[in-house]
Amino acid sequence: MITLGTQGKNTFLDDVNIKSGANVLECYQCGKCVGTCPVSQYMDFPPREIMQMIKLGLRNECYMANSHWFCLTCSACSGRCPREIDIPAVMEAVRHLAINENYVNDSKKVKEIRKFHDIFLDMIKRYGRNYELRMMAEFNIRTRNLFKDMHLAPKALLKGKIPLGVKPLKSAKAIKRMFAIAEKLEKNK
Amino acid sequence: MKKLTYFPGCSAHGTSEEFDSTLKLVLKTLDVELEDIPDWNCCGATSAHVMTENLAYALPMRNLVLAEKLENTTMGIACASCYQRMKVTKVHMDENPELAKRINTTVVEEGTYKGTVDVKSMLQYFYEDIGVETIREKVTKSLAGLKVACYYGCLLTRPKDITKFDSPEYPVSMDQICEALGATATEFDYKTECCGASFSISNTEVVINLSGQVLAMAKESGAHAIVVACPLCQSNLDMRQPDIEKHQGVKYDIPVFYITQLMALAFGYPAGELKFPKHIVPVEGALANIGKILPVPEKVKKPIKAVEAESEDK
Ligand code: SF4
Ligand code: SF4
Repeated sequence: MITLGTQGKNTFLDDVNIKSGANVLECYQCGKCVGTCPVSQYMDFPPREIMQMIKLGLRNECYMANSHWFCLTCSACSGRCPREIDIPAVMEAVRHLAINENYVNDSKKVKEIRKFHDIFLDMIKRYGRNYELRMMAEFNIRTRNLFKDMHLAPKALLKGKIPLGVKPLKSAKAIKRMFAIAEKLEKNK
Repeated sequence: MKKLTYFPGCSAHGTSEEFDSTLKLVLKTLDVELEDIPDWNCCGATSAHVMTENLAYALPMRNLVLAEKLENTTMGIACASCYQRMKVTKVHMDENPELAKRINTTVVEEGTYKGTVDVKSMLQYFYEDIGVETIREKVTKSLAGLKVACYYGCLLTRPKDITKFDSPEYPVSMDQICEALGATATEFDYKTECCGASFSISNTEVVINLSGQVLAMAKESGAHAIVVACPLCQSNLDMRQPDIEKHQGVKYDIPVFYITQLMALAFGYPAGELKFPKHIVPVEGALANIGKILPVPEKVKKPIKAVEAESEDK
């Protein structure tokens, strides 16, 4: 493993490998992942380039790229990677590291994706389950885009596609406790 | 009578209610009794794993621990996203007792994780535990005449080390079930392409693009309808279809069924019980093909088209 010039501290490559359980060094840049990835055209750097950037230790650049936010964890790439690298796990590792180190990509798209996930988790924390209409409504309010998908709403509501009711789970307390402990675990590592 | 532990998932009472209710009809015919996990909670898909590692394991683990208290040792999951989160958690916990111990601290009050419950998607359960032949025997009203494109999406068969089910590239389990019902499964190359999944709300543009390609390929395969086993796929392909049509300037008019709706139909349940009015794209046109005799297929050579450069290396 390359540890040159790091004075005993973990390199970015080490951090990603440890967190993902993959070995990014194995990547030989064939690009098969890029051809497979359904969202590579939206990424600042497609998976292959992210792999190389990790090897080169470009920590900031990787954290700030939108690639790991766009990854849908569809696992199409890893199924075809000739080096059998768990690419979505690598993407996830980069994302978790970036979140834990408080890196914020403030492009509009990434902000919206992040907001969606925040609202989703918030909903589980409060109710133990997810309620789709509330989810949509809160997303629109919090992104100040009140009329997004409004053309779908009447149809979806009429057809009973989206339930209105929200009732907390019996075990809402257990879920809150779980969130608290999980948060602590996240920080302690 | 067989018993099965059931994890309905959050969308079972919302966007995919028709999946849940028709699944129950089908299982009645197949003589399987469902036992809900008492007080189950959201598995965290599709957000927990995006934002945090521990919570992504903790949420499914609570359900696994609760399920272990029941007698049955198999858990069936309707929603493909829930299935994947549950299965990933199970496999990772079983492989890494150290990790399991750590995650278990978040759900101590519920109990200790033992790893005694197996996790299966309903599709997998039908295929492995019930069997295509048994399904064929239960058919009272053949769907002959109906041509369907079976769409699996990403989560039911991938990653292959986790799901250990069917093929990650060209699965056939749903196709075989549909053929057992009398329908014809078309040769459909986009079976496991991604529909855009959870970007439905936060990044609609991606869904319009990806789901649009799936619709186009399904249509090209000659299918009257698409069949799915995932609520997210269903809502992206059905609810977003008018948007996609507007965007692409084409009319697809291709309804998106849950596999359980077609099974229930073939098992003789009246159409009135199958929640068809919930579909955004009307189903009547496609269903009208049932009973029509299909022309004998000519032996045409499949044109080899250049795959569109959808994801060029920049
Ligand atoms: S497919 Fe695998 S080996 Fe090839 S570039 Fe992508 S990560 Fe590297
Ligand atoms: S898992 Fe992520 S990087 Fe890999 S193909 Fe899917 S979206 Fe692209």
